[in-house]
Amino acid sequence: MGKLLEFRNISKTFPGVKALDDVSLDLNPGEVHVVVGENGAGKSTMMKIISGVYAPDRGELLLDDIPLGRNTPKIAEQHGIAMIYQELSIVPELSVMENIFLGHEIRRGILIDRKAMDKRAEELLASIGVKVSPGTLVKNLSIANQQMIEIAKALSKNARVIVFDEPTSSLTDAEIKELFRIITALRGKGVGMFYISHRLEEIFEIGDRITIMRDGRKIATAPIAEMDMGKVVEGIAGRRIENVFQRHFPAKGEILLELKDLCGERFQHVNLNVRAGEIIGLAGLVGSGRSEVVRAAFGIDPYSAGEVLVRGKKMPRNNPQRLAHEGVAFLPEDRKREGLALSLSIRENAVISALRRLNPLTIVDGRRERATVRDFVRKLGISSPTIEKLVHFLSGGTQQKVVLAKWLITEASIFIFDEPTRGIDVGSKSSIYSLMDELVGLGAGIVMISSELPEVLGMSDRIYVMAQGRIAGEIDREEADHVSVIQLAFSQTSASQGRSLQ
Amino acid sequence: MSTHRASSRRFRLARLPNSIFAFLLVFMVASLWVPRFFTPGNLSSLLLQSSIMIILSVAMALVIIAGGIDLSMGSVLSMCGVIMALCMRNGLHALVAIGIGLAIGALFGLLNGLIVTRLRVPPFIATFGSMGIAQSLANTLSGRRTIYWESGSHSSLVDLLKGDVVHIQLGPESSMVFYIPFLVVLTAVVVGGVIFLFRRTVLGAYVHAIGENEEVARLSGIATRSWTTLLYVISGALAGFAGLLMLIRTNSMQPTSGDWLEFVAVVAAVLGGNALEGGKGSLVGAIFGALTLYMVRNALALKGIDTSVTMVVIGAVLVIGMFLNALATRHEKKLSARAETENA
Repeated sequence: MGKLLEFRNISKTFPGVKALDDVSLDLNPGEVHVVVGENGAGKSTMMKIISGVYAPDRGELLLDDIPLGRNTPKIAEQHGIAMIYQELSIVPELSVMENIFLGHEIRRGILIDRKAMDKRAEELLASIGVKVSPGTLVKNLSIANQQMIEIAKALSKNARVIVFDEPTSSLTDAEIKELFRIITALRGKGVGMFYISHRLEEIFEIGDRITIMRDGRKIATAPIAEMDMGKVVEGIAGRRIENVFQRHFPAKGEILLELKDLCGERFQHVNLNVRAGEIIGLAGLVGSGRSEVVRAAFGIDPYSAGEVLVRGKKMPRNNPQRLAHEGVAFLPEDRKREGLALSLSIRENAVISALRRLNPLTIVDGRRERATVRDFVRKLGISSPTIEKLVHFLSGGTQQKVVLAKWLITEASIFIFDEPTRGIDVGSKSSIYSLMDELVGLGAGIVMISSELPEVLGMSDRIYVMAQGRIAGEIDREEADHVSVIQLAFSQTSASQGRSLQ
Repeated sequence: MSTHRASSRRFRLARLPNSIFAFLLVFMVASLWVPRFFTPGNLSSLLLQSSIMIILSVAMALVIIAGGIDLSMGSVLSMCGVIMALCMRNGLHALVAIGIGLAIGALFGLLNGLIVTRLRVPPFIATFGSMGIAQSLANTLSGRRTIYWESGSHSSLVDLLKGDVVHIQLGPESSMVFYIPFLVVLTAVVVGGVIFLFRRTVLGAYVHAIGENEEVARLSGIATRSWTTLLYVISGALAGFAGLLMLIRTNSMQPTSGDWLEFVAVVAAVLGGNALEGGKGSLVGAIFGALTLYMVRNALALKGIDTSVTMVVIGAVLVIGMFLNALATRHEKKLSARAETENA
C-alpha cells in the first residue's frame, strides 16, 4: 500500500529559531499517527506545512508519492487535507450548516442551494453519529459538538488527511470517548490522521504509530505497541523524569482560606479549608462546579449564601480587589483572557498588580521594578533573554510562570490555581510542580483545580472531590488513589438521582 | 425532542434584532403622545426622510459585520451628488450622470478596500482619510455652493423620480395625504437587493466569518481580501446612490449635505445590534435602527421641541438600546448554559 502523505527531509527556519531540522515522516491510509513533543518542538510548524500555511525551506511534501510542489491552504484543501485546530475555527453566529460548508458552499448559479446543503449536512452529521440539527446556530452548541462540526466540515471537503491539533484539551471524558469513536470510524474509511496531544494517556488508546519531536528534530517514530509511557516521556523531555511530583511536607500552620457553606447558582453547601503549608486538590468532572466555586470565593462571580474567610476574617462578596489585598492570588485557567496582557512585556505584566507596593510614592521607580522582576524571572526559571520581551511571544508554560511571578511580587500567600498545567509541556509542568512545592514550603496555601488525576494525586495533601455542585468527599493523601477519587466524582450523581426519585 | 424544539424557538426570538423592539416602542409612544404623528401624511414623509439613512445604515452594517467601518460615507455621498449635479448642469443626460456618480462612489470604495486589505491600514484611519479627500473634492468641484441645473429633457428622469408612485387624498389637510414617493420604492428595491444577496448568496456567511475571525475565514478557503474589498466597493456605491436620492429629493445638491451622516449611520447600525467588533449583527436590524432614529427626530419636531434636544434623545435611545442589548445577551447566555447542563 502506498503512502498517503510523506514529509521528506523538511527544514524550516524562522528568524532566530530552527523550527524543523531535516524531518522525515509519513502517514498511511487509515492510520492514526500521534505526534508528541514539548511546546516549541516543531509539531505545529510541521502541521502548518502540511496545511499550506508555511512553505518549507528545504525538503518536500509528497502526496500519494507525488511531490506536491507549491502548497497553499487552498491547494491543501483541494488535495483533501483538513485541519482540526485546538482553537476552534468556527463562526459562532452562523448555523451548523453554514459552518460546515463555509468556503465551499453548494451553489446554484450564484445563489446558495440551502436545501442541498441542509440535506448533505444532515448526511454528514449522521455519518459521524452527531445529533445536531443543521440549522442550529453554532454558538448554542457545546464545545464538544462544535468540534464535531469541524470534523463534519473536514469530511464535507472529502478529506483524506485530517490533522487533529490537541482536540481533547477542552473536552470532558464522555466527549473524548465520542471523539475517539468518530476517529475509529474515520480510520475504517481509510482517512489518515495526525494526532497531536499533550495528554499522554490518550495517545495509547487512539494511536497506531507515534512520532516524538524535540527541538525541531524527530527523535523517534515507532508503532505505539512498542512504546510505553516511560519511553515517551523520556523521548519528549530528553531525560529520564524520575518523579515529576516532588513533594516535601512542611508543618501545617493556621487556616488561611476557608469556605463555609458556600452556595451559588451552580454549587451548593461547599465547605473547604486550606492551611498554611498545604496543597488542596479540587477534583471532579468538568462541569461539576469546581471553577465556579473558586471564582465565587475570589469574588469574581456572585454567591447566594455562605461565607468566605481569609485568616478568619470574613470577606465581602464580589470584591476581588479585597481578596487580592488580603494576599489571595487567583491564576485562572484561561491565561490569555484573564491572566495576562499579551501585548505587554514580561516586566509590565509581572508588576501590574504590585505597582502600588513597589512604588509607594506613586512615582514609578524603574530601577527597583526591573531588579524585582529580574529576581523573580531568575527564581522561576523564565527562559527569555530580556524582561522586556512581549508575553505574546512566550510559550504556554513560560506564560504561566509570568502569571505566577505577577502574584509572587504582590507577596500573596494563598494561591488558587485553576488547571495550572493545561496545554503546557512536560518540562514546564515539572517546574511548575516544584514551584508549587516551594511555595507551600514558604508557608503559602494552595488550592489546585485539576482534571488530571495523576497531578491531583501527586501534588495534593488533601483532595476534595466535587460532583454536581457539591463536595462529594474529602480524601487524605495517604488514602487517595485513582479509584477512590473517581468513585467520589461519580458517586453523587447516582445519589442525587436517588434523592430526586424519592 | 420537545425540549430541543423549545430551545430553538427561544433562540430564534433572541435572534430578532433589538432595534425592532425599540422601533415598536418609539412608534407606540409617538403615536399616543404626538398628535399629528400617526397620520398618513406624516408616516409617508417619515419614510421619505429616512430612506437615505436606511441605505447608508445597510451599507454601514455590511462593513461593520465584517469587522470594518466606513467613515467616508457621508462625504462620498456629497461628492457623488455634486458630481451628478454638475454633470446635469452641463447638459449630460441624467442616466449618464447617475452612472458616473455611482461609478465614482464605487471607485472610492475600491480605494478604501485596497488601502485596508493591501496596505493593512486600519479601516477607521483609511476611511477617515478618504473622507477628507472626498469632502474636499466635493467642496472644490462645487465651489462650496449649492448646485442647480436647468430642467430639460436630459433631466426628465430626475423629475420623474421626484414624483410619487401612489398618491391618495384621504382628506382636505396635507396630513391626510398618503403617498409613496418613487424614492422610497427605489430605496426598497436597492435594500431588498442587498438583503437578497446577503441571504441567498455566500456573501452573508463570508461577511460574518471575516468579521468573527479573518484567519478562520482564510483557512476555510475564503479569499478574504477580495471579499473585504468588495464590501467597501458596495458601501461606496451605496453612498453614491444615497447621494442620488439626496439630489432628487432637494432638486439641487449641496456639498455639505452628507455631513455627519456616517456617524448617524454608525449609530443606526449599532442600534440594530451590529457590534463594532464585528462578526454579528443584521442588515434588517440596521434598517430599523435608522427608522427609529428618524422617528424620534420626526416626533420631537412635531411636538415642537428644539432640534438641539434631538441628539440628546437619540443618544439616550442608543445607550438604553445598548443596555437592553447587553441584558438580552446575558439572558441568552444563561439560557444556553442551562440547556447545556440539562443535556449533560
